[in-house]
Amino acid sequence: MACILVVDDEIEVGEAIQRVLEQAGFLVTVTSGVAEGLKFLETATPDVVVTDMIMPKVNGLEFIKTLRSRFPKIRIVAISGGGNPISYKPEAVVTHAYLAAARAAGAEEVLTKPFDMDDLLSAVRRQLLN
Amino acid sequence: MGRLINTLRARMIAVVLATHAALVPLLYLGVSTIVQEGYIELFVNPIRSYSRLVADELENASAADFDHHAAELLDSVLLSGQVQFAQIVDGPRTLQGTVATAPFPDNRSDDFRFGDQGDSVYLISHTVKRPGGSVVLRLGFDEGPTLQRVQTAKRRVLAAMLIFTAVSIAVSIWLSAMISRPMRRLREAAQRIARGDVQARIQVHSSISEVQELNHHLEHMRHELVGSNERLMTEMGERAASEAKRLDLERRLLHRERIATIGTLAGGVAHEFNNIMTPILLYSQAALREQTADSRLARDLTRIVAAAQRARNLVQGILTFSREMDAKRAEVFSVRPTIEEALDLLRAIVPANIDISFQAAGWRELRVFGDPSLLHQVVINLCTNSYQAMRPNAGRLWLTLGSVEEAPDGSAANEAGYVLLEVSDTGHGMEPQVLEHIFDPFFTTRDVGEGTGLGLSVVHGIVTSMGGTIAVDSTVGVGTRVRICLPAAQQAVSRGVVDGMHSGG
Repeated sequence: MACILVVDDEIEVGEAIQRVLEQAGFLVTVTSGVAEGLKFLETATPDVVVTDMIMPKVNGLEFIKTLRSRFPKIRIVAISGGGNPISYKPEAVVTHAYLAAARAAGAEEVLTKPFDMDDLLSAVRRQLLN
Repeated sequence: MGRLINTLRARMIAVVLATHAALVPLLYLGVSTIVQEGYIELFVNPIRSYSRLVADELENASAADFDHHAAELLDSVLLSGQVQFAQIVDGPRTLQGTVATAPFPDNRSDDFRFGDQGDSVYLISHTVKRPGGSVVLRLGFDEGPTLQRVQTAKRRVLAAMLIFTAVSIAVSIWLSAMISRPMRRLREAAQRIARGDVQARIQVHSSISEVQELNHHLEHMRHELVGSNERLMTEMGERAASEAKRLDLERRLLHRERIATIGTLAGGVAHEFNNIMTPILLYSQAALREQTADSRLARDLTRIVAAAQRARNLVQGILTFSREMDAKRAEVFSVRPTIEEALDLLRAIVPANIDISFQAAGWRELRVFGDPSLLHQVVINLCTNSYQAMRPNAGRLWLTLGSVEEAPDGSAANEAGYVLLEVSDTGHGMEPQVLEHIFDPFFTTRDVGEGTGLGLSVVHGIVTSMGGTIAVDSTVGVGTRVRICLPAAQQAVSRGVVDGMHSGG
């Protein structure tokens, strides 16, 4: 059974993804931050990591870079709602191509929130097949 | 009164009168004295000679029968008509002629002064030596005719003086008129200039060189005035234009700031919103999968999914507005095929009574940098607005594509110039107060449910993200024209053939 790690600071989002993936028959672990995700990676090696991009403390881009260097075999699906979080500083208002950055850093798939269930499943399945 | 005396004419007359009042009496006195002296000379000289002649004759008369001779002499003198009376005084006795004469004034002494003593007699006495003593011959001559002549001459002199004065006054009036007429014309010209009528030439004809000079100087002044007036007008025009430009820039800046603020807010809301929408969509779809297709729950969940998808599209619109462009999709692309593609799609949905045409000018391939699908979206949104503005009537919707050297708002020059896309329609047009808000997100004039109010704000967001500008002109009842100016991308290759005008019909 394929094992998937979901990292998102929004618990609701993480659990929704978990629900969909578990329904499709995957083994899913959800963490609400990069630190917890990395902690989990010390104990287990998932086939696919689904990670949000905009997160407090350590953001998704840093996480992807770490994954690429330490776990080159893990497939990465980056997700982002885009936009400019209100809490962000004014200079962050300028367009951030989060997902483009994620792809550049090594993510195999990118998805814009809110995505359809089928889009998520096909992205994950595509990576598992390759 | 003061004004009257101050006029040139009155002054000149006053001067002439004053001069004459002082000089004419003196002149009269002088001239009349000379005339009188002359006449007296003419009168006195012959009578002196005559009386001397008579005295000589008396002296030569024989001593014997002296009285008889004396009487004869006196008679002859009296009869000559020159003498009024004559007598010889010989001691105590007085000899007189036999001819009747006017009574001799006894008490009078010799009168050698003309017109003296209140009568008109000139009296001459001669002492004639005789052998037995001396006798005195006294003759009285009539001064009357000479006096009359003198009076006549004096009257003539006076008349001449008065004529001279009158002529002087007339000349002074004429002279003052000669000076004051051109002066009045010049004054009128100056008044015209003062009223602001500076166009008419000042041309006062006068033989007086001072007046000509004054005319020349006034004309020169007028000329200068016309020049400075024109400079002033030009300057005022320029100032007004620059003020209008400044106001326009200020307005645009304000507008841009407002859009940017809304964009920031929209971007923030969109982020939160996307995070909220994700579980809604995923849970609904996951739950839907566990239901049989025709169950009540499945139908409800389908509704939820559809609504969530609509919400997602709305947020995508907001994000586009707040310039969330997917950078990886930006590329240099040719504008014309993109527009034609969008128009093909539009022709399928636009009613047949609306005529759509497209014209691309110039032979160069016009290319810009950005996401072609976004420009596609721009065309779709603008044309949708246009045809909805024309409903239900027939109308015309036309697009033109061309290139310009400079952006219309004068923003930083782009080396490759700008691509200008115009979308015009014959729709209802918009009021200025509506025009001001058309780029605001969620601003719509349509009925609820017909539009999201994001169409133009999305267009604005896309155009701005591509570094371009958008301007809308609209006249109520006539139509609307949207001008989009995008910085052109450097031309990789010129196709080198004349593409000519292309009409997409």
